[in-house]
Amino acid sequence: MNSRTVLVLCEKPSASMRVAKALDDSGKPVARKIDGVPYYEARRRDRQLIIVSGLGHLYTVAPKIRDRDIYPVFDFHWQPRHLVEKGADQTKKWIELISRLSKDVSDFILATDYDIEGATLGYTILKYACGGKEEEAKRMKFSTLTTEELRESYMKLQSHIEFPIVEAGLCRHFVDAMYGINLSRAMTVAAKRWSRKYATLSTGRVQGPTLSFLVAREKEINSFVPTPFWKIKAKVQISGATYEVEYEKDSVTNFDEAKVIVKDCEGKPGEVTSVQTRRFQQAPPTPFDLGTLQSEAYSHFRYTPKRTANIAERLYLEALISYPRTSSQKLPPSINYKAILKSLSREPKYEKLASDLLNLKVLEPREGKKEDPAHPAVYPTGDLPERPLSPPERRIWELVARRFMAVFGETAVKSSVRVSLDIDGHRFYLRGRQILKEGWMRFYKPYIRAEEVILPHLEEGEEVEVVDVIREDRFTKPPSRHNPSSLLRKMEEVEIGTKATRADIIETLYKRRYIAEERILVTDLGFEITNVLSKHCPTVIAVDFTRDLEKRMEEIQNGKEKMERVIDRAVYQLKPALAEMKLREEEIGKELSEAVKKARMQQRIVGNCPVCRTGRLVILYSRRTGKRFIGCTNYFEGICKTSFPLPQRGTLKPLRRNCNGCGWPLIQVSARGKRPWTLCFNPDCPSKERKN
Amino acid sequence: MKCEICGRESTSRFCELHEMGYDNLLDRYEDWKKALNLTWTGYLRKVVMNPNTGLWAKEVAQELLSESSRNSQDPESHF
Repeated sequence: MNSRTVLVLCEKPSASMRVAKALDDSGKPVARKIDGVPYYEARRRDRQLIIVSGLGHLYTVAPKIRDRDIYPVFDFHWQPRHLVEKGADQTKKWIELISRLSKDVSDFILATDYDIEGATLGYTILKYACGGKEEEAKRMKFSTLTTEELRESYMKLQSHIEFPIVEAGLCRHFVDAMYGINLSRAMTVAAKRWSRKYATLSTGRVQGPTLSFLVAREKEINSFVPTPFWKIKAKVQISGATYEVEYEKDSVTNFDEAKVIVKDCEGKPGEVTSVQTRRFQQAPPTPFDLGTLQSEAYSHFRYTPKRTANIAERLYLEALISYPRTSSQKLPPSINYKAILKSLSREPKYEKLASDLLNLKVLEPREGKKEDPAHPAVYPTGDLPERPLSPPERRIWELVARRFMAVFGETAVKSSVRVSLDIDGHRFYLRGRQILKEGWMRFYKPYIRAEEVILPHLEEGEEVEVVDVIREDRFTKPPSRHNPSSLLRKMEEVEIGTKATRADIIETLYKRRYIAEERILVTDLGFEITNVLSKHCPTVIAVDFTRDLEKRMEEIQNGKEKMERVIDRAVYQLKPALAEMKLREEEIGKELSEAVKKARMQQRIVGNCPVCRTGRLVILYSRRTGKRFIGCTNYFEGICKTSFPLPQRGTLKPLRRNCNGCGWPLIQVSARGKRPWTLCFNPDCPSKERKN
Repeated sequence: MKCEICGRESTSRFCELHEMGYDNLLDRYEDWKKALNLTWTGYLRKVVMNPNTGLWAKEVAQELLSESSRNSQDPESHF
């Protein structure tokens, strides 16, 4: 290598391949590997380029005191991940290769994602693996991995990396590690000292408040008392068709009153007293920021926010969509709307739609309020897939492509009609709705739920036949449970976490078994964790406190705040909370240990005993042989001796649903390298006979 | 003191969680009385059977019902 060699540092291997292809003059960089770690050699004009990537973060913040039983710890430093994290051994080879390659080059270019994480991981690699090159490195800024944009960003290199964003990133890592490690250690140590058994109990700066929302909702649901009300409806016949009309009051809260209304109206004719028509316009939707993309994907495909983020990331790495981790709802003209639409029109499905938009005199997107200084909203690059996309990838890509086209569409025009009917002095309403002009809805059709109800022509004074009058008994309902998408929206609304971390935090709550099921249910363990934190260190789960820290970290990015001040403030808040936890370690340990014990027992409950019908079947281990089996809890009372054998390999998970063949509870068995399978342990299950 | 229902530590007869259910039961009774002219026990029976009732509220209602049936069987309770 000569002195004109440049090291280009990317975030992930797939990005480095794309950057190498785009920057090489011939589009055919040389792929090399050392110790299994890929890198590329390319030539751009007179310069030799070495393109290498990280594997996400290669360094992490770790406490200087490694002993997990010691807290509080406030002395943290950046360490290679392979030294401090389990399962991060691979990153060692990456660090070694980058260090080796960096010795023979003259210049450094950072080409990681242009956001807080990309800047931070690039900074740490330049500083620690490349031997202090963070000050001299230049920066490529791009929002898509298309060849054109990558070449342009290489031509217009920024003179240095974005230091204020790096400072904010470093601060976030320090504060999060300090909170997460100290609070988790405090809880884990307390439980361990009390029960002499180890269980990982974790919480964090954002995780704690997020769990506390769910606990608050769970409390509302569990203490809810419904109240009765009645809904009155009538069926009327107009021109041979039957329509449902609703009583003017949405709900009647007295049973006798509801009965009187029904009695009055039965068998009486109805008379049209007024017909009110309203035309209204519906503007196109705004472009996708990550949150709205995740929410829309959940609503149409039931994909969790984490899954949508992962799919979007893959589509970005294949240059099919722009950078997805954005808060922006803006599409600047610089992305070249026409070029994107022209490219999209190569896809037969979009040919007509895209060409209709291209025929418009002016292409002007409807934009939302949210902005992001680093990236525009999510949009399709116009590149078509080079390989067959998996169904989930195609769905997300199509959603992004259609949304992009829809934002340029015309306003839709709809009409709503409200017909007032008088039935024996009681007023009822008949409602209709119709789309008069589709506008943008044409482009976004598969994702629109608009049902039309077209009414016949009606005039004041006209009589209609009342076929039936119905009284429906109803009860008020408890607030609905959060699902992953609504929880993410709630986190956005109260401004905790970042667009990049929110989905991961929700996943962590599931992994730790603090919450379960799609319609989120807080487990006993989740309850107890929140209970302990709210009792002993309420500031830690207070939304205001986390939001305040979040704002201060944002101010670092804008140069209005300093990292040291934010860290000092975080330490100031955390210290007394940890001191209190230490003081009450025994009490906390007892509460948490009991919750862990209960949670472990819950995990082992398979279902109700189908033999004695009063006990519960649980997974047990034989003291004599150590083998596992299913037994009834009534065995210990001397009532029921039911037991069933179990497979001895793999992990078992009660499925909380029953077998279609015999109605007994089912278990899922997962063994390494095999697809999980469902087990009905009833030896006489009819489904087994059928198979045999 | 322990909660009469779940045995959690408490400062009154119910723990903090069941107390929330109890408070809601008291608050909602007026609405049910206006709607259906029910007695207190009639109301509790309806609430126990309703699928929308939260678990803790249901447990409190059940406890109050069994308490009232115990009292009605106990001759001393009339005095």
